Amino acid sequence: MVISLPFAVLLGWVLARKNFRGKLILDGLCHLPLVLPPVVVGYLLLLLLGRRGFLGQILSDWFGLQIAFTWRGAVLAAAVVGFPLMLRAVRLAIESVDPRLERAARTLGANPLRAFFSITLRLAAPGVLVGSLLAFARSLGEFGATITFVSNIAGETRTLPLAIFTYINQPDGEAAAARLVLLSIILSLGALIASETVARKMKS
Amino acid sequence: MLTLCVHRQLAEFTLQIDVTCTYPVTAIFGPSGCGKTTLLNLISGLMRPDGGQISIDDTILFHAEKGIDLPPEKRRIGHVFQDDLLFPHLTVRQNLLYGYQFLAPSERKFHPDTIIDLLELNTLLDRLPNLLSGGERQRVALGRAILTSPRLLILDEPLTALDQELKDRIMPYLRHIRTDLGIPMLYVSHAIGEILQLTGQVIVLNRGQVLAHGDFFSIAHQPKILPLLEAHGFENVLPVEVIAPNRVQYNNQTLHIPPCDRVSGTHIFIGIRANDIILCRQRPAGLSIRNALSAQVIDIVETHGRSLVYIDVGKRLAAEVTPEAIGELALKIGDPVICLIKTHAIRIGPDVS
Repeated sequence: MVISLPFAVLLGWVLARKNFRGKLILDGLCHLPLVLPPVVVGYLLLLLLGRRGFLGQILSDWFGLQIAFTWRGAVLAAAVVGFPLMLRAVRLAIESVDPRLERAARTLGANPLRAFFSITLRLAAPGVLVGSLLAFARSLGEFGATITFVSNIAGETRTLPLAIFTYINQPDGEAAAARLVLLSIILSLGALIASETVARKMKS
Repeated sequence: MLTLCVHRQLAEFTLQIDVTCTYPVTAIFGPSGCGKTTLLNLISGLMRPDGGQISIDDTILFHAEKGIDLPPEKRRIGHVFQDDLLFPHLTVRQNLLYGYQFLAPSERKFHPDTIIDLLELNTLLDRLPNLLSGGERQRVALGRAILTSPRLLILDEPLTALDQELKDRIMPYLRHIRTDLGIPMLYVSHAIGEILQLTGQVIVLNRGQVLAHGDFFSIAHQPKILPLLEAHGFENVLPVEVIAPNRVQYNNQTLHIPPCDRVSGTHIFIGIRANDIILCRQRPAGLSIRNALSAQVIDIVETHGRSLVYIDVGKRLAAEVTPEAIGELALKIGDPVICLIKTHAIRIGPDVS
Protein backbone atom coordinates (compact mmCIF):
# COMPACT_ATOMS: atom_id res chain seq x y z
CA MET A 1 0.00 0.00 0.00
CA VAL A 2 2.78 2.37 0.94
CA ILE A 3 4.58 1.47 -2.27
CA SER A 4 1.62 2.01 -4.54
CA LEU A 5 0.41 5.28 -2.98
CA PRO A 6 2.88 7.66 -4.69
CA PHE A 7 2.28 5.92 -8.01
CA ALA A 8 -1.47 6.07 -7.56
CA VAL A 9 -1.30 9.80 -6.78
CA LEU A 10 0.91 10.46 -9.77
CA LEU A 11 -1.16 8.37 -12.18
CA GLY A 12 -4.40 9.60 -10.64
CA TRP A 13 -3.32 13.16 -11.36
CA VAL A 14 -2.24 12.29 -14.89
CA LEU A 15 -5.51 10.55 -15.65
CA ALA A 16 -7.64 13.21 -13.97
CA ARG A 17 -6.02 16.34 -15.33
CA LYS A 18 -4.17 15.55 -18.51
CA ASN A 19 -5.42 14.79 -21.97
CA PHE A 20 -3.14 12.92 -24.28
CA ARG A 21 -3.07 10.20 -26.90
CA GLY A 22 -3.19 6.75 -25.46
CA LYS A 23 -4.86 7.90 -22.25
CA LEU A 24 -7.44 5.19 -22.78
CA ILE A 25 -4.74 2.57 -23.14
CA LEU A 26 -2.89 3.75 -20.05
CA ASP A 27 -6.18 3.76 -18.18
CA GLY A 28 -6.90 0.22 -19.36
CA LEU A 29 -3.43 -1.03 -18.43
CA CYS A 30 -3.74 0.44 -14.94
CA HIS A 31 -7.04 -1.32 -14.39
CA LEU A 32 -5.99 -4.63 -15.85
CA PRO A 33 -5.06 -6.23 -12.50
CA LEU A 34 -8.60 -5.51 -11.30
CA VAL A 35 -10.22 -7.45 -14.11
CA LEU A 36 -7.69 -10.21 -14.80
CA PRO A 37 -7.89 -13.37 -12.70
CA PRO A 38 -5.29 -12.98 -9.92
CA VAL A 39 -3.58 -16.16 -11.06
CA VAL A 40 -2.94 -14.52 -14.43
CA VAL A 41 -1.51 -11.45 -12.72
CA GLY A 42 0.78 -13.68 -10.67
CA TYR A 43 1.84 -15.61 -13.74
CA LEU A 44 2.59 -12.40 -15.68
CA LEU A 45 4.62 -11.10 -12.75
CA LEU A 46 6.52 -14.37 -12.76
CA LEU A 47 7.20 -14.05 -16.48
CA LEU A 48 8.40 -10.49 -16.03
CA LEU A 49 10.25 -10.72 -12.74
CA GLY A 50 11.13 -14.40 -12.48
CA ARG A 51 14.78 -15.36 -12.58
CA ARG A 52 14.59 -15.72 -16.35
CA GLY A 53 12.14 -12.90 -16.80
CA PHE A 54 13.15 -9.72 -18.60
CA LEU A 55 13.22 -7.45 -15.55
CA GLY A 56 14.01 -10.18 -13.09
CA GLN A 57 17.25 -10.97 -14.90
CA ILE A 58 18.39 -7.37 -14.89
CA LEU A 59 17.56 -6.97 -11.20
CA SER A 60 19.37 -10.10 -10.14
CA ASP A 61 22.42 -9.57 -12.41
CA TRP A 62 22.94 -5.91 -11.58
CA PHE A 63 21.67 -5.55 -8.04
CA GLY A 64 21.58 -9.16 -6.86
CA LEU A 65 17.95 -8.57 -6.07
CA GLN A 66 15.65 -11.53 -6.17
CA ILE A 67 11.94 -10.87 -6.28
CA ALA A 68 10.12 -14.04 -7.30
CA PHE A 69 9.68 -16.55 -4.45
CA THR A 70 10.74 -13.99 -1.79
CA TRP A 71 8.81 -11.75 0.59
CA ARG A 72 9.49 -8.82 -1.75
CA GLY A 73 7.52 -10.60 -4.42
CA ALA A 74 4.63 -11.13 -2.00
CA VAL A 75 4.61 -7.40 -1.26
CA LEU A 76 4.75 -6.56 -4.94
CA ALA A 77 1.91 -8.94 -5.80
CA ALA A 78 -0.23 -7.37 -3.07
CA ALA A 79 0.63 -3.88 -4.31
CA VAL A 80 -0.13 -4.69 -7.92
CA VAL A 81 -3.57 -6.16 -7.31
CA GLY A 82 -4.52 -3.35 -4.92
CA PHE A 83 -3.28 -0.62 -7.21
CA PRO A 84 -6.29 -0.22 -9.54
CA LEU A 85 -8.66 0.25 -6.62
CA MET A 86 -6.44 2.91 -5.11
CA LEU A 87 -5.94 4.59 -8.46
CA ARG A 88 -9.68 4.77 -9.14
CA ALA A 89 -10.40 6.41 -5.81
CA VAL A 90 -7.50 8.86 -6.09
CA ARG A 91 -8.42 9.82 -9.62
CA LEU A 92 -12.05 10.45 -8.73
CA ALA A 93 -11.00 12.48 -5.70
CA ILE A 94 -8.64 14.64 -7.77
CA GLU A 95 -11.23 15.11 -10.49
CA SER A 96 -13.67 16.43 -7.93
CA VAL A 97 -11.33 19.29 -6.94
CA ASP A 98 -11.85 22.50 -8.91
CA PRO A 99 -8.68 22.87 -11.04
CA ARG A 100 -9.05 26.65 -10.84
CA LEU A 101 -8.16 26.51 -7.14
CA GLU A 102 -4.75 25.19 -8.06
CA ARG A 103 -4.34 27.93 -10.64
CA ALA A 104 -5.29 30.52 -8.05
CA ALA A 105 -2.57 29.07 -5.83
CA ARG A 106 -0.09 29.46 -8.66
CA THR A 107 -0.89 33.16 -9.08
CA LEU A 108 -0.34 33.52 -5.33
CA GLY A 109 3.22 32.30 -5.72
CA ALA A 110 3.04 28.54 -5.19
CA ASN A 111 5.10 26.41 -7.56
CA PRO A 112 3.21 23.59 -9.32
CA LEU A 113 4.27 20.92 -6.84
CA ARG A 114 3.45 23.06 -3.84
CA ALA A 115 0.09 24.05 -5.31
CA PHE A 116 -0.76 20.43 -5.98
CA PHE A 117 0.16 19.20 -2.52
CA SER A 118 -1.24 22.07 -0.48
CA ILE A 119 -4.49 22.48 -2.42
CA THR A 120 -5.55 19.65 -4.70
CA LEU A 121 -4.13 16.68 -2.81
CA ARG A 122 -5.18 18.15 0.51
CA LEU A 123 -8.76 18.52 -0.74
CA ALA A 124 -8.63 15.05 -2.29
CA ALA A 125 -7.24 13.51 0.91
CA PRO A 126 -10.45 11.78 2.05
CA GLY A 127 -10.72 10.06 -1.33
CA VAL A 128 -7.07 9.08 -1.26
CA LEU A 129 -7.65 7.57 2.16
CA VAL A 130 -10.63 5.55 0.97
CA GLY A 131 -8.54 4.34 -1.96
CA SER A 132 -5.76 3.29 0.35
CA LEU A 133 -8.18 1.37 2.50
CA LEU A 134 -9.62 -0.44 -0.51
CA ALA A 135 -6.13 -1.32 -1.67
CA PHE A 136 -5.24 -2.52 1.81
CA ALA A 137 -8.33 -4.69 1.92
CA ARG A 138 -7.64 -6.11 -1.49
CA SER A 139 -3.99 -6.88 -0.71
CA LEU A 140 -4.87 -8.42 2.65
CA GLY A 141 -7.06 -10.91 0.87
CA GLU A 142 -4.67 -11.44 -2.00
CA PHE A 143 -4.23 -15.16 -2.72
CA GLY A 144 -4.08 -16.14 -6.36
CA ALA A 145 -1.37 -13.81 -7.60
CA THR A 146 0.75 -14.44 -4.55
CA ILE A 147 0.68 -18.20 -4.72
CA THR A 148 1.43 -18.15 -8.44
CA PHE A 149 4.20 -15.59 -8.27
CA VAL A 150 6.00 -16.40 -5.04
CA SER A 151 4.52 -19.74 -4.01
CA ASN A 152 3.77 -20.53 -0.37
CA ILE A 153 7.08 -20.66 1.46
CA ALA A 154 6.85 -20.73 5.25
CA GLY A 155 8.52 -17.73 6.85
CA GLU A 156 9.11 -16.04 3.50
CA THR A 157 6.05 -15.70 1.31
CA ARG A 158 3.30 -17.20 3.43
CA THR A 159 0.81 -14.35 3.68
CA LEU A 160 -2.19 -14.42 6.00
CA PRO A 161 -4.62 -16.05 3.55
CA LEU A 162 -2.00 -18.54 2.44
CA ALA A 163 -1.26 -19.46 6.02
CA ILE A 164 -4.95 -19.94 6.82
CA PHE A 165 -5.34 -22.03 3.70
CA THR A 166 -2.34 -24.15 4.70
CA TYR A 167 -3.59 -24.72 8.25
CA ILE A 168 -7.08 -25.66 7.10
CA ASN A 169 -5.56 -28.28 4.85
CA GLN A 170 -3.65 -29.84 7.77
CA PRO A 171 -5.50 -32.46 9.91
CA ASP A 172 -4.95 -30.60 13.24
CA GLY A 173 -4.60 -27.05 12.00
CA GLU A 174 -8.02 -25.73 12.93
CA ALA A 175 -6.97 -23.99 16.13
CA ALA A 176 -4.09 -22.21 14.38
CA ALA A 177 -6.37 -21.24 11.50
CA ALA A 178 -8.91 -19.82 13.95
CA ARG A 179 -6.22 -17.63 15.54
CA LEU A 180 -5.26 -16.28 12.15
CA VAL A 181 -8.88 -15.68 11.20
CA LEU A 182 -9.26 -13.67 14.39
CA LEU A 183 -6.11 -11.75 13.53
CA SER A 184 -7.45 -10.85 10.09
CA ILE A 185 -10.73 -9.67 11.58
CA ILE A 186 -8.84 -7.43 14.03
CA LEU A 187 -6.61 -6.07 11.25
CA SER A 188 -9.54 -5.30 8.97
CA LEU A 189 -11.62 -3.69 11.68
CA GLY A 190 -8.64 -1.67 12.88
CA ALA A 191 -8.00 -0.36 9.38
CA LEU A 192 -11.66 0.54 8.91
CA ILE A 193 -11.89 2.40 12.21
CA ALA A 194 -8.58 4.17 11.68
CA SER A 195 -9.51 5.42 8.22
CA GLU A 196 -12.96 6.51 9.36
CA THR A 197 -11.42 8.50 12.22
CA VAL A 198 -8.86 10.18 10.00
CA ALA A 199 -11.44 10.96 7.33
CA ARG A 200 -13.69 12.57 9.88
CA LYS A 201 -10.86 14.69 11.23
CA MET A 202 -10.00 15.85 7.72
CA LYS A 203 -13.53 16.92 7.00
CA SER A 204 -13.98 18.96 10.15
CA MET B 1 3.48 50.49 -16.51
CA LEU B 2 2.04 47.43 -18.17
CA THR B 3 2.96 46.83 -21.78
CA LEU B 4 0.85 44.33 -23.65
CA CYS B 5 1.39 43.23 -27.19
CA VAL B 6 -0.07 39.76 -27.54
CA HIS B 7 -2.24 37.64 -29.72
CA ARG B 8 -3.99 34.38 -29.09
CA GLN B 9 -6.39 32.35 -31.18
CA LEU B 10 -9.70 31.70 -29.41
CA ALA B 11 -12.63 29.58 -30.50
CA GLU B 12 -14.50 32.36 -32.27
CA PHE B 13 -11.99 35.13 -32.84
CA THR B 14 -8.40 36.12 -32.33
CA LEU B 15 -7.50 38.13 -29.29
CA GLN B 16 -5.17 40.84 -30.49
CA ILE B 17 -4.03 43.42 -27.98
CA ASP B 18 -1.43 46.13 -28.25
CA VAL B 19 -1.71 48.67 -25.45
CA THR B 20 0.31 50.34 -22.73
CA CYS B 21 -1.29 51.10 -19.38
CA THR B 22 0.35 53.83 -17.36
CA TYR B 23 -2.51 55.06 -15.24
CA PRO B 24 -2.72 53.69 -11.67
CA VAL B 25 -6.04 52.08 -12.52
CA THR B 26 -6.93 51.02 -16.01
CA ALA B 27 -10.26 49.43 -16.70
CA ILE B 28 -11.00 46.95 -19.43
CA PHE B 29 -14.55 47.29 -20.57
CA GLY B 30 -16.38 45.08 -23.01
CA PRO B 31 -19.40 42.84 -23.40
CA SER B 32 -19.35 39.26 -22.11
CA GLY B 33 -17.21 36.96 -24.21
CA CYS B 34 -15.06 39.73 -25.69
CA GLY B 35 -11.85 38.17 -24.41
CA LYS B 36 -11.45 40.04 -21.14
CA THR B 37 -10.92 37.00 -18.94
CA THR B 38 -8.56 35.45 -21.48
CA LEU B 39 -6.51 38.62 -21.50
CA LEU B 40 -6.15 38.51 -17.71
CA ASN B 41 -5.16 34.84 -17.84
CA LEU B 42 -2.48 35.73 -20.38
CA ILE B 43 -1.14 38.41 -18.05
CA SER B 44 -1.07 36.25 -14.95
CA GLY B 45 0.44 33.34 -16.86
CA LEU B 46 -2.46 30.92 -16.62
CA MET B 47 -2.70 30.88 -20.40
CA ARG B 48 0.02 31.20 -22.96
CA PRO B 49 -0.20 33.77 -25.76
CA ASP B 50 0.46 32.51 -29.30
CA GLY B 51 2.98 35.29 -29.67
CA GLY B 52 4.01 38.76 -28.60
CA GLN B 53 5.25 40.13 -25.34
CA ILE B 54 4.07 41.22 -21.90
CA SER B 55 6.09 43.30 -19.50
CA ILE B 56 5.62 45.32 -16.35
CA ASP B 57 8.05 48.18 -15.94
CA ASP B 58 11.43 46.56 -16.69
CA THR B 59 10.37 43.01 -16.00
CA ILE B 60 9.55 40.88 -19.02
CA LEU B 61 6.83 38.38 -18.15
CA PHE B 62 6.49 36.91 -21.60
CA HIS B 63 8.47 37.34 -24.76
CA ALA B 64 7.85 34.93 -27.62
CA GLU B 65 11.01 35.73 -29.60
CA LYS B 66 13.34 35.68 -26.60
CA GLY B 67 11.69 32.51 -25.30
CA ILE B 68 10.76 34.12 -21.98
CA ASP B 69 7.65 32.78 -20.27
CA LEU B 70 7.65 33.29 -16.52
CA PRO B 71 5.44 30.78 -14.68
CA PRO B 72 2.48 32.32 -12.81
CA GLU B 73 4.19 31.99 -9.42
CA LYS B 74 7.12 34.14 -10.60
CA ARG B 75 5.05 36.92 -12.13
CA ARG B 76 3.85 38.57 -8.93
CA ILE B 77 0.46 39.43 -10.36
CA GLY B 78 -2.39 39.56 -7.88
CA HIS B 79 -5.26 37.88 -9.68
CA VAL B 80 -8.72 38.33 -8.18
CA PHE B 81 -11.12 35.98 -9.91
CA GLN B 82 -14.77 36.42 -10.66
CA ASP B 83 -15.55 33.52 -8.34
CA ASP B 84 -13.39 34.30 -5.37
CA LEU B 85 -11.71 30.82 -5.48
CA LEU B 86 -10.90 30.81 -1.79
CA PHE B 87 -9.35 27.57 -0.59
CA PRO B 88 -12.24 25.78 1.11
CA HIS B 89 -10.08 23.78 3.54
CA LEU B 90 -8.22 26.81 4.90
CA THR B 91 -9.48 29.44 7.33
CA VAL B 92 -9.73 33.07 6.33
CA ARG B 93 -6.41 33.76 8.01
CA GLN B 94 -4.70 30.84 6.25
CA ASN B 95 -6.20 31.96 2.95
CA LEU B 96 -4.91 35.48 3.47
CA LEU B 97 -1.42 34.26 4.32
CA TYR B 98 -1.24 31.60 1.60
CA GLY B 99 0.67 33.76 -0.84
CA TYR B 100 2.31 35.90 1.85
CA GLN B 101 4.21 32.88 3.21
CA PHE B 102 6.02 32.37 -0.09
CA LEU B 103 7.54 35.85 -0.01
CA ALA B 104 10.95 36.58 1.44
CA PRO B 105 10.54 39.09 4.30
CA SER B 106 12.26 41.77 2.21
CA GLU B 107 9.64 41.40 -0.51
CA ARG B 108 6.70 41.90 1.83
CA LYS B 109 5.31 45.35 1.25
CA PHE B 110 2.25 45.11 3.46
CA HIS B 111 1.75 43.81 6.95
CA PRO B 112 -1.15 41.36 7.20
CA ASP B 113 -2.68 43.42 10.04
CA THR B 114 -2.79 46.52 7.83
CA ILE B 115 -4.70 44.69 5.14
CA ILE B 116 -6.96 42.92 7.63
CA ASP B 117 -7.85 46.31 9.11
CA LEU B 118 -8.31 47.95 5.73
CA LEU B 119 -10.68 45.25 4.52
CA GLU B 120 -12.30 44.87 7.97
CA LEU B 121 -11.70 41.16 8.20
CA ASN B 122 -10.84 41.07 11.90
CA THR B 123 -13.89 39.16 13.02
CA LEU B 124 -13.70 36.58 10.24
CA LEU B 125 -10.14 35.31 10.60
CA ASP B 126 -10.86 31.89 12.09
CA ARG B 127 -13.83 31.05 9.89
CA LEU B 128 -13.85 28.73 6.92
CA PRO B 129 -14.81 30.29 3.58
CA ASN B 130 -18.12 28.40 3.30
CA LEU B 131 -19.38 30.32 6.32
CA LEU B 132 -18.81 33.71 4.69
CA SER B 133 -21.18 35.85 2.66
CA GLY B 134 -20.42 36.71 -0.95
CA GLY B 135 -19.10 40.15 -0.10
CA GLU B 136 -16.92 38.81 2.70
CA ARG B 137 -15.48 36.15 0.45
CA GLN B 138 -14.59 38.70 -2.19
CA ARG B 139 -12.88 40.87 0.43
CA VAL B 140 -10.81 37.90 1.59
CA ALA B 141 -9.89 37.17 -2.03
CA LEU B 142 -8.81 40.78 -2.42
CA GLY B 143 -6.73 40.66 0.74
CA ARG B 144 -5.15 37.37 -0.26
CA ALA B 145 -4.02 38.87 -3.57
CA ILE B 146 -2.79 42.13 -2.03
CA LEU B 147 -0.71 40.31 0.58
CA THR B 148 1.43 38.79 -2.17
CA SER B 149 2.74 42.35 -2.70
CA PRO B 150 1.87 42.18 -6.37
CA ARG B 151 3.38 44.33 -9.09
CA LEU B 152 -0.08 44.62 -10.52
CA LEU B 153 -3.50 43.71 -9.24
CA ILE B 154 -5.82 42.31 -11.88
CA LEU B 155 -9.48 42.08 -11.01
CA ASP B 156 -11.77 39.98 -13.14
CA GLU B 157 -15.29 41.31 -12.62
CA PRO B 158 -14.89 40.96 -8.86
CA LEU B 159 -18.30 42.45 -8.16
CA THR B 160 -20.39 40.71 -10.80
CA ALA B 161 -21.54 37.93 -8.51
CA LEU B 162 -22.67 40.40 -5.85
CA ASP B 163 -25.93 42.29 -5.54
CA GLN B 164 -26.05 46.06 -5.86
CA GLU B 165 -25.93 46.75 -2.13
CA LEU B 166 -22.82 44.62 -1.68
CA LYS B 167 -21.23 46.20 -4.73
CA ASP B 168 -21.65 49.60 -3.15
CA ARG B 169 -20.06 48.33 0.01
CA ILE B 170 -17.01 46.78 -1.69
CA MET B 171 -16.33 49.78 -3.91
CA PRO B 172 -14.90 51.96 -1.10
CA TYR B 173 -12.39 49.19 -0.32
CA LEU B 174 -11.27 49.17 -3.92
CA ARG B 175 -10.85 52.95 -3.80
CA HIS B 176 -8.76 52.55 -0.63
CA ILE B 177 -6.52 50.04 -2.36
CA ARG B 178 -6.11 52.41 -5.28
CA THR B 179 -5.42 55.49 -3.21
CA ASP B 180 -3.70 54.23 -0.06
CA LEU B 181 -1.73 51.20 -1.18
CA GLY B 182 -0.64 52.45 -4.58
CA ILE B 183 -0.85 49.10 -6.31
CA PRO B 184 -1.48 49.52 -10.04
CA MET B 185 -4.73 47.87 -11.00
CA LEU B 186 -6.27 46.43 -14.09
CA TYR B 187 -9.99 46.28 -13.51
CA VAL B 188 -12.16 44.22 -15.82
CA SER B 189 -15.86 44.78 -15.97
CA HIS B 190 -18.80 44.94 -18.28
CA ALA B 191 -20.45 47.51 -16.02
CA ILE B 192 -19.25 50.97 -16.95
CA GLY B 193 -20.88 52.44 -13.85
CA GLU B 194 -18.59 50.32 -11.67
CA ILE B 195 -15.54 51.28 -13.68
CA LEU B 196 -16.22 54.99 -13.47
CA GLN B 197 -16.22 54.84 -9.69
CA LEU B 198 -12.57 53.79 -9.88
CA THR B 199 -11.07 55.31 -12.95
CA GLY B 200 -11.67 57.15 -16.17
CA GLN B 201 -8.96 55.30 -18.05
CA VAL B 202 -10.62 52.64 -20.13
CA ILE B 203 -9.66 50.07 -22.72
CA VAL B 204 -12.71 49.09 -24.72
CA LEU B 205 -12.53 45.54 -25.96
CA ASN B 206 -14.83 43.81 -28.41
CA ARG B 207 -14.34 40.42 -30.02
CA GLY B 208 -10.69 40.39 -29.01
CA GLN B 209 -9.83 43.77 -30.48
CA VAL B 210 -9.11 47.05 -28.73
CA LEU B 211 -11.74 49.46 -30.01
CA ALA B 212 -10.48 52.42 -28.08
CA HIS B 213 -8.08 53.23 -25.29
CA GLY B 214 -7.92 56.37 -23.24
CA ASP B 215 -10.02 58.69 -21.17
CA PHE B 216 -13.56 57.36 -21.06
CA PHE B 217 -15.12 60.75 -21.53
CA SER B 218 -13.19 61.47 -24.66
CA ILE B 219 -13.79 58.07 -26.26
CA ALA B 220 -17.36 57.45 -25.13
CA HIS B 221 -18.87 59.38 -28.01
CA GLN B 222 -16.94 57.62 -30.74
CA PRO B 223 -19.41 55.96 -33.10
CA LYS B 224 -17.95 52.46 -32.57
CA ILE B 225 -17.93 52.76 -28.77
CA LEU B 226 -21.35 54.23 -28.25
CA PRO B 227 -23.34 51.14 -29.29
CA LEU B 228 -21.41 49.05 -26.75
CA LEU B 229 -22.13 51.49 -24.00
CA GLU B 230 -25.72 51.83 -25.05
CA ALA B 231 -26.11 48.07 -24.89
CA HIS B 232 -25.24 48.38 -21.23
CA GLY B 233 -27.54 51.29 -20.57
CA PHE B 234 -24.86 53.81 -19.83
CA GLU B 235 -24.64 56.49 -22.42
CA ASN B 236 -24.41 59.95 -20.99
CA VAL B 237 -21.61 61.48 -19.04
CA LEU B 238 -21.33 65.03 -17.81
CA PRO B 239 -18.45 66.77 -16.06
CA VAL B 240 -19.97 68.72 -13.17
CA GLU B 241 -18.89 70.67 -10.11
CA VAL B 242 -20.03 69.58 -6.66
CA ILE B 243 -21.67 72.50 -4.83
CA ALA B 244 -23.32 70.62 -1.97
CA PRO B 245 -23.38 66.99 -0.80
CA ASN B 246 -26.39 66.34 -3.01
CA ARG B 247 -26.12 69.01 -5.66
CA VAL B 248 -23.89 69.67 -8.61
CA GLN B 249 -23.67 72.43 -11.13
CA TYR B 250 -23.40 72.10 -14.85
CA ASN B 251 -23.36 75.12 -17.19
CA ASN B 252 -25.02 77.32 -14.57
CA GLN B 253 -27.82 74.77 -14.13
CA THR B 254 -28.17 72.93 -10.85
CA LEU B 255 -28.72 69.17 -10.70
CA HIS B 256 -29.79 67.16 -7.69
CA ILE B 257 -27.79 63.95 -7.27
CA PRO B 258 -27.87 61.10 -4.75
CA PRO B 259 -25.78 61.98 -1.68
CA CYS B 260 -22.05 61.54 -2.34
CA ASP B 261 -18.92 61.91 -0.22
CA ARG B 262 -17.15 64.45 -2.44
CA VAL B 263 -16.16 67.88 -1.16
CA SER B 264 -17.74 70.99 -2.60
CA GLY B 265 -15.69 72.43 -5.42
CA THR B 266 -14.60 69.01 -6.69
CA HIS B 267 -15.16 68.35 -10.35
CA ILE B 268 -16.66 64.94 -10.94
CA PHE B 269 -18.34 63.04 -13.70
CA ILE B 270 -21.91 61.89 -13.49
CA GLY B 271 -23.56 59.28 -15.66
CA ILE B 272 -27.14 59.03 -16.82
CA ARG B 273 -28.79 56.22 -18.78
CA ALA B 274 -30.48 57.20 -22.02
CA ASN B 275 -33.74 55.65 -20.89
CA ASP B 276 -33.72 57.62 -17.64
CA ILE B 277 -34.05 60.92 -19.51
CA ILE B 278 -37.50 62.27 -20.22
CA LEU B 279 -37.98 64.92 -22.87
CA CYS B 280 -40.75 67.52 -22.83
CA ARG B 281 -41.63 70.66 -24.66
CA GLN B 282 -42.29 72.93 -21.72
CA ARG B 283 -40.87 73.11 -18.25
CA PRO B 284 -43.50 71.17 -16.32
CA ALA B 285 -45.10 72.28 -13.08
CA GLY B 286 -46.08 70.05 -10.17
CA LEU B 287 -43.68 67.22 -10.90
CA SER B 288 -41.57 65.43 -8.30
CA ILE B 289 -38.56 65.38 -10.62
CA ARG B 290 -36.04 67.97 -9.49
CA ASN B 291 -33.77 68.04 -12.47
CA ALA B 292 -34.77 69.87 -15.61
CA LEU B 293 -32.11 70.94 -18.09
CA SER B 294 -32.72 73.13 -21.11
CA ALA B 295 -31.49 71.52 -24.28
CA GLN B 296 -31.70 71.52 -28.02
CA VAL B 297 -32.34 68.53 -30.28
CA ILE B 298 -29.32 67.87 -32.48
CA ASP B 299 -30.10 64.48 -33.96
CA ILE B 300 -32.73 61.74 -34.00
CA VAL B 301 -31.60 58.19 -34.69
CA GLU B 302 -33.67 55.04 -34.92
CA THR B 303 -31.89 51.71 -34.54
CA HIS B 304 -33.08 48.21 -33.62
CA GLY B 305 -36.55 49.45 -32.74
CA ARG B 306 -35.22 52.09 -30.36
CA SER B 307 -35.10 55.77 -31.02
CA LEU B 308 -32.41 57.92 -29.57
CA VAL B 309 -32.75 61.65 -29.51
CA TYR B 310 -29.43 63.40 -29.20
CA ILE B 311 -29.71 66.70 -27.39
CA ASP B 312 -27.26 69.45 -26.63
CA VAL B 313 -27.09 70.64 -23.03
CA GLY B 314 -23.62 72.05 -23.54
CA LYS B 315 -22.53 68.49 -24.15
CA ARG B 316 -24.14 65.84 -26.26
CA LEU B 317 -26.58 63.58 -24.43
CA ALA B 318 -28.63 60.67 -25.74
CA ALA B 319 -32.22 60.20 -24.59
CA GLU B 320 -34.24 57.12 -25.42
CA VAL B 321 -37.75 57.95 -26.51
CA THR B 322 -40.39 55.78 -28.15
CA PRO B 323 -41.03 56.51 -31.84
CA GLU B 324 -44.65 57.41 -30.96
CA ALA B 325 -43.47 60.04 -28.50
CA ILE B 326 -41.24 61.60 -31.12
CA GLY B 327 -44.26 61.85 -33.37
CA GLU B 328 -46.47 63.22 -30.64
CA LEU B 329 -43.98 65.85 -29.58
CA ALA B 330 -43.22 66.51 -33.24
CA LEU B 331 -39.55 66.64 -32.39
CA LYS B 332 -37.19 67.76 -35.08
CA ILE B 333 -33.59 68.82 -35.23
CA GLY B 334 -33.03 72.27 -33.76
CA ASP B 335 -36.06 72.22 -31.44
CA PRO B 336 -35.60 73.42 -27.87
CA VAL B 337 -36.60 70.82 -25.27
CA ILE B 338 -36.48 70.36 -21.54
CA CYS B 339 -34.88 67.14 -20.33
CA LEU B 340 -35.94 65.69 -17.01
CA ILE B 341 -33.75 63.38 -14.97
CA LYS B 342 -34.71 61.63 -11.74
CA THR B 343 -32.22 62.29 -8.96
CA HIS B 344 -31.65 58.62 -8.27
CA ALA B 345 -31.08 57.83 -11.91
CA ILE B 346 -27.83 59.80 -11.72
CA ARG B 347 -24.71 57.81 -11.04
CA ILE B 348 -21.69 59.34 -9.44
CA GLY B 349 -18.49 58.88 -11.42
CA PRO B 350 -14.84 59.58 -10.72
CA ASP B 351 -13.15 62.93 -10.24
CA VAL B 352 -12.29 64.91 -13.32
CA SER B 353 -8.52 64.61 -13.52
